[in-house]
Amino acid sequence: MTDTQPAKLRPITWHNPLEPWGQDQGNPELTSVASPDASDTWRANTKYKAKTYKVGRLKHYVIWRNNGQRLWDRWRWWPTRRNVLNIRGLYNRKTLKAEKKILDRRPIYWAICFALLVIGPAVFPASMYNTLLSAGTIFGIFAAINVCWTLILGTASIFTLASYAVVGVAAFVTTYLSIQWGLPWYVLPVGGAFIGLAVGIVIAIPALRLDGFYYALLTLGLNELCRVFFTTSKVFGSASGGLYGADSFIPDSWSPNAQSLLSYYSAFLLLVAVLFLFRFINGKQLGRVLRMAPEKREAFAEACGVDYRRARIIIFVVTSAALGFIGGFYATLYRGTAFSIFSFDTVLLGLAMVTIGGIGKAEGAILGTLVVTFLDKVLIDLGPTRLFLIGLIMLGVVLFTNNGYFGIKKQFNAWRDKKRGEWRSMRSEKGGEALPEEATERDNKDEVYFLRFDKMQRDYLKTLICPEIIEEHRQQPLGQHSATLERLLMYFRRAPMDDKYALQRNAETGRYKIIAFSGHRGVSPRVVEDREYDTIGDGYHAIFVRRVHDLMES
Amino acid sequence: MEIAQILTNAVVVASIYGLIAVAVSITWSSLGLVNLGYGFVFSFAGFWAWVVAQNVSEWPPIVAAAGLVGGAVGGILICLVVFIPLHDKPNFTTRGMIGTLAISLIGSQALLMQFGPRAKSLPELFGYWQVDIAGMALTSDKIGIVVCSIVMLGFVVFWMKGSRRGLEIRAMMMNPHAASIVGIGIRSTGIYVMALTGAMAGLASVLLSQTYYIAPFSGLTPLIKGVSIALCGGLGSVQGAVIAAMILGLTEAVTSRFLGGQYVLITQFLVIILILIVRPRGISGLLDKAREQ
Repeated sequence: MTDTQPAKLRPITWHNPLEPWGQDQGNPELTSVASPDASDTWRANTKYKAKTYKVGRLKHYVIWRNNGQRLWDRWRWWPTRRNVLNIRGLYNRKTLKAEKKILDRRPIYWAICFALLVIGPAVFPASMYNTLLSAGTIFGIFAAINVCWTLILGTASIFTLASYAVVGVAAFVTTYLSIQWGLPWYVLPVGGAFIGLAVGIVIAIPALRLDGFYYALLTLGLNELCRVFFTTSKVFGSASGGLYGADSFIPDSWSPNAQSLLSYYSAFLLLVAVLFLFRFINGKQLGRVLRMAPEKREAFAEACGVDYRRARIIIFVVTSAALGFIGGFYATLYRGTAFSIFSFDTVLLGLAMVTIGGIGKAEGAILGTLVVTFLDKVLIDLGPTRLFLIGLIMLGVVLFTNNGYFGIKKQFNAWRDKKRGEWRSMRSEKGGEALPEEATERDNKDEVYFLRFDKMQRDYLKTLICPEIIEEHRQQPLGQHSATLERLLMYFRRAPMDDKYALQRNAETGRYKIIAFSGHRGVSPRVVEDREYDTIGDGYHAIFVRRVHDLMES
Repeated sequence: MEIAQILTNAVVVASIYGLIAVAVSITWSSLGLVNLGYGFVFSFAGFWAWVVAQNVSEWPPIVAAAGLVGGAVGGILICLVVFIPLHDKPNFTTRGMIGTLAISLIGSQALLMQFGPRAKSLPELFGYWQVDIAGMALTSDKIGIVVCSIVMLGFVVFWMKGSRRGLEIRAMMMNPHAASIVGIGIRSTGIYVMALTGAMAGLASVLLSQTYYIAPFSGLTPLIKGVSIALCGGLGSVQGAVIAAMILGLTEAVTSRFLGGQYVLITQFLVIILILIVRPRGISGLLDKAREQ
């Protein structure tokens, strides 16, 4: 619409262009009523009205200094040609200096986190040293399990709840074998991997047929089955709350502190190894194949020749073997296993760990494990409240985020785009102007510009209309007019033919009626109103008033 | 008559778990929510009934009604906290399931903090008497449990067939999208469904407490049994759940007679897996009528 501030009125003087040549009629110049300046409307219409902020929408990158010679140098993973960091070298357009920016900074964050975990024991406060060290060990193992689990949940889209059951079965069986046959510690993880492989193959059979939540519910039952079986079985020490006595790589002769440190760092190494597994499954062929076949679009992927079932089952089985390895490692680290690995609370806590960070992402599994382990193992003084807190965090994450902490960025961007669209549609004016969305679909861009100009012109002409103008037209519908009225009439005369007003003279009575052209050849005009006018001048004025009315309505 | 004894036990247990199975089944098929919070509803209703029995009256109808009301309240709680905020969000099924699990974690811990880990027992609802039928001694609680669950199940089926609300729920089962187009409110139907199924879980809780005790975590086993039966019978089908409950009860009875009690779960799961491999959507679930949401 027009400017909010009242337009300054100034008189417009019309000079007759024919005057120097001399003419017998008309005035050399004519003053019209005071009217607003057209350039005010122009400025109001062409002003950029979107609210702007100092901080731009562009992603903020840290720009590093560089020099021209090194612009294309890269660090590479020896012996491949794969880059360590995704760096783009460029010249600054203003200063023409060589610069480089890191497009993907995640490797740096990973390196920082690993470094923190490595130097962790050196900086733990002395009062909580033992608590933090044992919590760190548990964190390493559980993070490894959760990374495997998130690989099944996210990459393979198999909603299993039996991951802890696989770990537990492997841990119990390897402990039992170690006690019975005296297997040395280095055999246990490998043996665990074979047990995990076997268990994985067995529970993968229903996964071939069942999908989604049917499988989730089945695996929930499988977990309970394992719990009941191992707890009631006399072979696995039903009375003692667990099975202990496996061979361990931690020498008994070491001091307790050195033993804790060794278990901490071995759990850390296990985590690193599992992350490599994640990277090599999720980032390579299998992961990429499955990214093509997300849930509910399997049929399309299949039609493209992707054997998604095979890929899912391979991931499931390989990851089950890895889980079995972790189980064997667990057995040799703690010299055995407790029944609590099968309990429903463990599954719930594990699910909390995986969901808090975001399903399908290794960093999500690790962050979630960190949060939950910290609450569960470090803040022991809180008692049952800490599980309550974990539940609240889990509920909050599920209610407010689509995919955990690491999905917030995507969700926020989608939300911002939605809001941006809403704001744009709120501020775009519908005065006949083409909306940005429509403008892209019109082939003839002249039309877009014409609509924009026409809207602006109408905005201006609306400001010109006043009783004086109408009175002037009533007195003299044809002939020389003041500049303001002339502008209006020129605009009215240039209107397109469809629905343009005209006068029809009744030959018998000699009176006039207002009609409107159809704008199509062979389609007769329509009668606009029944009223008849005595003289043609009255008719002209009636049409003028009608057009003024239409203009003000538009 | 040992096998007859085991068989009656199996029928009694199956009729309780069948209630939860039907509850899980109805919730899944009408709301699309995999509700794993029935374990919490179960304990919640049990404690509710216990509090009423302690403070108000030990008269059996009042205790049973308290269980029903407590279960309905627990169900509505889950509906308000999880279903209503989430039902139109992306990844609803996953998030809904995790949300109900979170509720069950929070709820069990809250019950633990409030009432402590000690198990509570409810008063005897059905008195002490027994009937001898063909040499079998049927005690009052067994008859009462079976009769109560059959009555409740019959009421639910009748209500779903005969009432306006039941019509809405069945419309949601057939096609939730079309149901919402013809003016059936998803949220209000959600509240009816969750109240009804919660009341079923509450009744199951009161009935099971005739045999076992009420504890903050006692809802887990009934939940898992119920979910397995619902899965095996076909989610969304009441008669499928009844058939599956009978099959699994029979498996339990036969296994504990011939193999021993510790193998019950193993044979049951083998049976379930076999059924699911042959019919991936359960006994009376149709493959092409699977709910898409």
